Amino acid sequence: MSQTPNQKSGAQSNPLFALGKERLELIGKHADALMQGYLDGQINESAFSEQALQKLLDSRVLDYPDEQRLQLRPIVNELIASLTQDERKRQINSDVGEHLDQIHTRVQSLQAARQKGDYAASEHHLQLLTERVNDMTGQFGDAIESLWHRLNTEFGFVSSLDDKILEIELAQRQLRRILDGFGIINFDDLIQLAGSDGSLRKLLVSQLQARISEHSGSLLEVQKRLVLLMSRFRQQQDKALLINRMSAFLRQHPNFQVGDYPNRSQVPAVVNQAQGISAQAFIALDRAQDSYALAELARAVPRELEQGSNSERQDQGFSMALQSLVATEQKQLAKDVEDFFIHVIESPEALSGVDYLAEKELSWEPEMWLFQIVAEYQGLPEQNKQSFMLEKDSAPKSRFNQLYIIQDVTVGMRFFGDFQAAG
Amino acid sequence: MIENGPLLERLLEGEYICSITDEHSFHKLQNEELVDDLNHFLRPLNRRVAKNDDGSVYFLAYCDLTQNARQHLSHQFTSTVQSLLPMLEWMQLVQEALGRDGALSLGDTIKLQDFESKVVDNQSLIQRLAHLANDKLFKSTSDKPDMQIKQVFKRIKELGYLHQPHKDRLFYQVTGKVEQLIELVRFIKDEENLPIDEEIPEQEVMF
Repeated sequence: MSQTPNQKSGAQSNPLFALGKERLELIGKHADALMQGYLDGQINESAFSEQALQKLLDSRVLDYPDEQRLQLRPIVNELIASLTQDERKRQINSDVGEHLDQIHTRVQSLQAARQKGDYAASEHHLQLLTERVNDMTGQFGDAIESLWHRLNTEFGFVSSLDDKILEIELAQRQLRRILDGFGIINFDDLIQLAGSDGSLRKLLVSQLQARISEHSGSLLEVQKRLVLLMSRFRQQQDKALLINRMSAFLRQHPNFQVGDYPNRSQVPAVVNQAQGISAQAFIALDRAQDSYALAELARAVPRELEQGSNSERQDQGFSMALQSLVATEQKQLAKDVEDFFIHVIESPEALSGVDYLAEKELSWEPEMWLFQIVAEYQGLPEQNKQSFMLEKDSAPKSRFNQLYIIQDVTVGMRFFGDFQAAG
Repeated sequence: MIENGPLLERLLEGEYICSITDEHSFHKLQNEELVDDLNHFLRPLNRRVAKNDDGSVYFLAYCDLTQNARQHLSHQFTSTVQSLLPMLEWMQLVQEALGRDGALSLGDTIKLQDFESKVVDNQSLIQRLAHLANDKLFKSTSDKPDMQIKQVFKRIKELGYLHQPHKDRLFYQVTGKVEQLIELVRFIKDEENLPIDEEIPEQEVMF
């Protein structure tokens, strides 16, 4: 006490600090006996002096769940388990044993109280017993829920497949431990224990049985899914390996000749993939009932011929006006744009100007190209313009003015309003 | 049968039907009665509905291996084998760029932007991409990674290994045809007794 620490921080002046430190030290002082108790599941009273025992009880490290038994408080048990990462090994099994033991003692106390006709005490014992049973099934429930959670996220908390596979193995062991825990519960014993007492039978036998079978069903499903997931992860690993090795092999053996499987007497299934057949149909005028629909179509579809001659005129108009400028280049640009529009007419879907430019590997500046497409579109006669639909894909240049930069234009045909605009 | 017309047509055109390309039809094809009906219709065309080993993709196969059928199969097989290395390298590239340690599988989603940003961050990936894009399977003439990526993915989509759910959005999903390709690789490995099951040290792989 006399040596003040170098810096006495605010935390250290907190009364909680002193108390917590005292308690931790107390645990440290009795580490041997407490650990022995953790392993045995029960504390040997004689290991402590009366004073020490009282201190441990006051500090909420130990308690008497009933008169005869001295135990670590569950929270201390948990602390030790988590510090030693022992919970996986112990929790379910030992807990089930422990719970069952306590259920036994509690039932005995209950029956003793009933024999004495102590109604209040027996009520109390029954309540504690109910809590104990619920605790036990609750623990199973929690463990199963945690398994489900990990399963449903596909073990997303670890990234590599190796780790995922390890986690699945871990989960499978945990699952087995829970099942072992179920195995410990002996319903014959419990039936005997409950005797002819209706409320006990209900609590210890019918309710518990229903809960356990529900849990078992859930576990079975978890097990199935774990196996599936495991095989999927292993397959993925296996495939990745196959891909790596095959590509390495092919690189090493550029002249590798594969067998002529298609011409073997037995053609392997993996090779047998039929060639595509496209069933085409054409306009037929030999059925009178179709004529109306066909006429509708004919009216709606822009006529290629008219389209062609219009564009030609357009082209001429341009070239004449710009002859004094870089006439040939301008002509080529107009020609390319015209090709683009013809492509649009032939294509079932809308085309992106930028994509087309890249695809055809044309050398135009994208800006110039898009401008020309828009210009060509604007220059179309109104009637033809309606056949096309032009969408500008633009983004504001800056937040401070209203300038929009067109990044792409998408042009498509407007068939019966069927055109699905991109963007 | 009328309502199955479009499905039949797609199959006839040589499409692969999986849960990604057409979930509805894929589920329909799991009904054996329907497949029997379709097969009955397809019989005169010398075709039948076939599926891969794990049933993740449906396509048409020949019933009788006539001379014509074999000729086509031969042609197709050769071109698949010829494009095998670039396809495998593409799969490796995507897998590595996206930091996955499992192979690309049916249903995996690839966002082009993610892929691009990963590739341009890494000189060796840029080089591998350039090498790949130059392959005659992809035929890209651009020296810009973004154009190369666009071209490579476009080609792979055309080949049926990728599905683009939205025409205007650059993300792709891996189709069941990839699984079929892997099956073919496994088949070739087993059938040709390729010595690739042993561990090959990484260094050796590089040369």
